[in-house]
Amino acid sequence: MASVTLDSVTVDFPIYNVNSRSLKKQFIRLTTGGALNNDESHKCVVVKALDNVSFHLEHGDRVGLIGHNGAGKSTLLRVLAQIYEPTAGRIHFDGKVSPLLDVMLGINQESSGYENIILRGLLLGLTRDEIMQKTAEIAAFTELGDYLSMPVRTYSSGMQLRLAFGVATSISPEILLLDEVVGTGDAAFMVKAEKRFNELIEQSSVVVLASHSNDVIKRICNKAILLEAGKVKYFGTIEKVFAHY
Amino acid sequence: MNNIPTKTRTALAFTDIKDGFSKWNIWILLSWQDIRMRYRRSTLGPFWITLSMAITIYTMGLLYGHLFKMELAHYYPYLAASMLGWSLISSLLTDGSGIFIENEHFLKQIKLPYITFILRATARNFIIFFHNIFVIIPIIIFFHVSVNLFTLLFLVGLLVIWINAITFGTILAILGTRFRDITQLINSLIQVVFFLTPVMWSPAILPEKYQYLVKLNPFAQFLELLRNPLLGTPPSAYAFAVTLAITLVGIAGSFFIFARYRARITYWI
Repeated sequence: MASVTLDSVTVDFPIYNVNSRSLKKQFIRLTTGGALNNDESHKCVVVKALDNVSFHLEHGDRVGLIGHNGAGKSTLLRVLAQIYEPTAGRIHFDGKVSPLLDVMLGINQESSGYENIILRGLLLGLTRDEIMQKTAEIAAFTELGDYLSMPVRTYSSGMQLRLAFGVATSISPEILLLDEVVGTGDAAFMVKAEKRFNELIEQSSVVVLASHSNDVIKRICNKAILLEAGKVKYFGTIEKVFAHY
Repeated sequence: MNNIPTKTRTALAFTDIKDGFSKWNIWILLSWQDIRMRYRRSTLGPFWITLSMAITIYTMGLLYGHLFKMELAHYYPYLAASMLGWSLISSLLTDGSGIFIENEHFLKQIKLPYITFILRATARNFIIFFHNIFVIIPIIIFFHVSVNLFTLLFLVGLLVIWINAITFGTILAILGTRFRDITQLINSLIQVVFFLTPVMWSPAILPEKYQYLVKLNPFAQFLELLRNPLLGTPPSAYAFAVTLAITLVGIAGSFFIFARYRARITYWI
């Protein structure tokens, strides 16, 4: 029974220009009291990526994040993944968070398929024993056979995606975070991948999904959050939110 | 919603460090992967590192031994032990400032303790060091360098350097993420430090009134901690005292900086 609570979460992004990125230029500015290099360009612009966001998600919630580009969908996912710690406000999780923001994360070209299963499994928070138990099942799903002993650089891009998808979806998440659902390989494999993907979602207690495809969100989610310029514009059941969108 | 517990910066930093060390299977695996990526598809594999180090030491020894008019039986072991230590220290320093930048794709996609990446870079450089160390074996045999109980002290030296690599690596990595010109700055400083530190030359050939140049150089003390045991002699009490003091300052300083800026790292990337 996982749950997530956000209490007035704000994320401010500093946007640095070349000068404020340079220690040398900062040093010149300090030592000369701003007499040199005083072109105001050292000032740093702050962008409010999330503004006072509060909501509560409970077991059974499948939440779609919708909004235009730059509305804060990815930032919100990264805050939920604990990658960005909010500049203000608080978050509380009951349950383990599993972010699947980039399916290809940690896939190494020089390592074999099996070695990649181990590394990716460890990154997903599995223990070595758990990975060993799952390896046969993952191998069967990817249909890569003997290729799994070969370096990943010998794979086609479709095969690489199959491997990455196979490992990434082998977990049993409590709170699952997804950034755009990926398409995988040929048509026959797509059917299989979709089945596995749906199983993954069914197993999860809470799912948060960001997508530009309204169809995907309508199919998977029962709730939605409409973001606009970093603010929650609307949060509610899927039908009500789309009525506002 | 007022029942959300808040943790202090110190507690969060401490958790990060603890979790980072406990994820040893991740950082060791990633550091081996780094080695493999660097020498992929070459027949000798990582032993290219050993070979290039061997060529450097064996040719430099011959040239500089004659230039400094030193007996080769003494100069060769000295140079080999110094170069091994120096290559470890200098590569840790040059890698340090780029640690978080090179791990951007991890830091932005998944929550892992920040310390994991510091430990990854440190482990990678230590693996290279353990490849390099083979270079000194023929020298020890050929020039009859004494191997005794003091030789084991080199493990103590390695431990001290490992701790400092983590603490100062953390400081450099945080600075390097915020200020992107740190890497160039360190690369040019390291050249100067190489000539100022007794790597190629022995402190013995320096006149008495200039000995303070070696005494005041912290790198010379860390180097002594590795070099002397490899040559079968104990490091001086002075070297131990200086490195111990630097280690303690480094632990305190890096923890303070890490606790203060930890949450900002992903924002700066």
